[in-house]
Amino acid sequence: MSLNSQTLTGSGQDWTRNGSSSSSRGPMENESMILKPSTPTRNLIPPKPENAITIAVSSQVLFNMEKEQQIYKQQGMEGYIKYQGEHETEHFSPGPACSFVKALEAVNTQLRKLYPDSDELFDVVLMMNNDAEVGLRLNNTINHHQLFIKRFCMTGGNSPVSFLKAYHTNLYLSSDPGKVREALAKGIAAAIMFTPEKMNEVSETQLRVAFDGDGVLFSDESERIFKKDGLEGFQEHEKTHEKDPMKQGPLKCFLEALGKLQNKCYVNGQRMDCPIRTYLVTARDDGSAGKRALNTLSSWGLEIDEAHFLAGAPKGPKLKEIRPHIFFDDQKSHVDGAVEMGTVACHVPYGTANELS
Amino acid sequence: MSCLQKDADRAVVVAVTSRAVFESGAEGDDGDEVYKVGTAFPLLQALQRVNARLLEENPAESLLFDVILVTTDLEQQQQSSRIISSTRHYGLEVSKFSFSGTEDFIESLLTNNVRLFLSTDRNEASHASQNGVLSALLDQNLASCPSEQLRVLFCGDAVIRSNISPMPVSQQATQSFSAQLGEMRQRFGMFDSPLSMVLMTARGGRESCSAALLTLRSQGVSVDEAYCLAGAPRGPILSLIRPHFLLSNSLSDLEE
Repeated sequence: MSLNSQTLTGSGQDWTRNGSSSSSRGPMENESMILKPSTPTRNLIPPKPENAITIAVSSQVLFNMEKEQQIYKQQGMEGYIKYQGEHETEHFSPGPACSFVKALEAVNTQLRKLYPDSDELFDVVLMMNNDAEVGLRLNNTINHHQLFIKRFCMTGGNSPVSFLKAYHTNLYLSSDPGKVREALAKGIAAAIMFTPEKMNEVSETQLRVAFDGDGVLFSDESERIFKKDGLEGFQEHEKTHEKDPMKQGPLKCFLEALGKLQNKCYVNGQRMDCPIRTYLVTARDDGSAGKRALNTLSSWGLEIDEAHFLAGAPKGPKLKEIRPHIFFDDQKSHVDGAVEMGTVACHVPYGTANELS
Repeated sequence: MSCLQKDADRAVVVAVTSRAVFESGAEGDDGDEVYKVGTAFPLLQALQRVNARLLEENPAESLLFDVILVTTDLEQQQQSSRIISSTRHYGLEVSKFSFSGTEDFIESLLTNNVRLFLSTDRNEASHASQNGVLSALLDQNLASCPSEQLRVLFCGDAVIRSNISPMPVSQQATQSFSAQLGEMRQRFGMFDSPLSMVLMTARGGRESCSAALLTLRSQGVSVDEAYCLAGAPRGPILSLIRPHFLLSNSLSDLEE
């Protein structure tokens, strides 16, 4: 929802948990407390899908395949396959999902130190519908960039979406709007990832995930009210229902999964700098609307590290400050604004903001 | 019955047990009626479709599937006329019915130049495999899938193990059959192919699967779809892949 910030006083309030400011990097300090007797180098077996948090990433967002896409457009599938074959040993350059995937592995490394026998970890599955021969080039590239992806799924001409459920996918990232919509319709958290021209530098030790509220974590129910009754109607409604939790949105379960891993970082009652940090970046103001958002999260037993109530102000600058590895929003305009300022932003084509005519 | 004349050297002979094609001895089984179709029926239809498409591309095509029905079952052999009429009834293109005793069964497969033997009986498949005939066990659930496209699944974990010498006879059989499939596949483009080559590595991860891709490519098989599970459970993926049969050097690869 977009609120006209001129009608409100102030530019909104930032609320952060534990007092840490959003611009701090969050290194894993105090490592001495987590040392166990040194374990031999583990053969890194991928976690079992039921226990892991599985992120399915399309090859098109993991790597920059722009040139190849051009060739596909100009020469069709046969020309595309031929080109890939000729350039088999060349590496692709990193795409928008690359730093996100690397941050997932950084979290895994910390979690393995704390819980060497647990397979509650992130697991990345590469999804592609290209010809399997292209996989060889991708394989070489994955090795080159030292990514920890062990599983992949190349579905030929078929849609990968049916396989997402089979892999217990918690989140699916792709550049293809059709597939993302299909996944959302099947109840899988999914988003269309966009590439900034110049990506902001992000932390290599702390995973940062930013979410919009309505239409992402929460259902689009309040957005519908806003559309129907305008800003005043919306404010009234939120005031009346401040204590009533909203229904969940498509990415609520993903936040929940992140929270589960965050909780594992509390050891011996001591909260360390967690390798995962979550952010709410919403156009809601810090009055009743904002409170309702926090109450809803609370009722779900979920926490968010930082909540930024922008009261309608553009999200780009705030996100640039935060430097998340990934940001989810259901409004394309907010996604575009974020991308313009260097944030890897993903569009969640859900709800009233995205109804296909 | 009218049947395409197949070039003996180029035909890819596929032998299927009659028990797998037709359900006999089922309830309500009336002595003179045609049999109900069995597990292997959709597979035979798919093989026929491949042949039809191959001939569409090239009416003089000689690399075609040649399906023969086999059985050592005396009961089945006594019902031979019924098997033959059932075959006719369903429009199945079967070039030969080979009835033999258990002792000369393997010999009959070899004499008929069988490249692939399919059965729903594990012992039968295993016995043939041990004697150098490439065999595949037809799984009730998988083989009866409604897919029009012939879908062949290569078990990648076996593909990579295959670099031992001397090469066992069964492996030669696997490779030569795979090469023939690969050649057939090349007759068609990316999309709308009547057959699809699918690779799966159940235990192996990305590296294993890539190695299997390369090995298969060197054997003349261009893979259409690939799934590497790295230990993830096979069941859900198999039911999505819906192969008609699995090719593996070892039947134990097919166990969960």
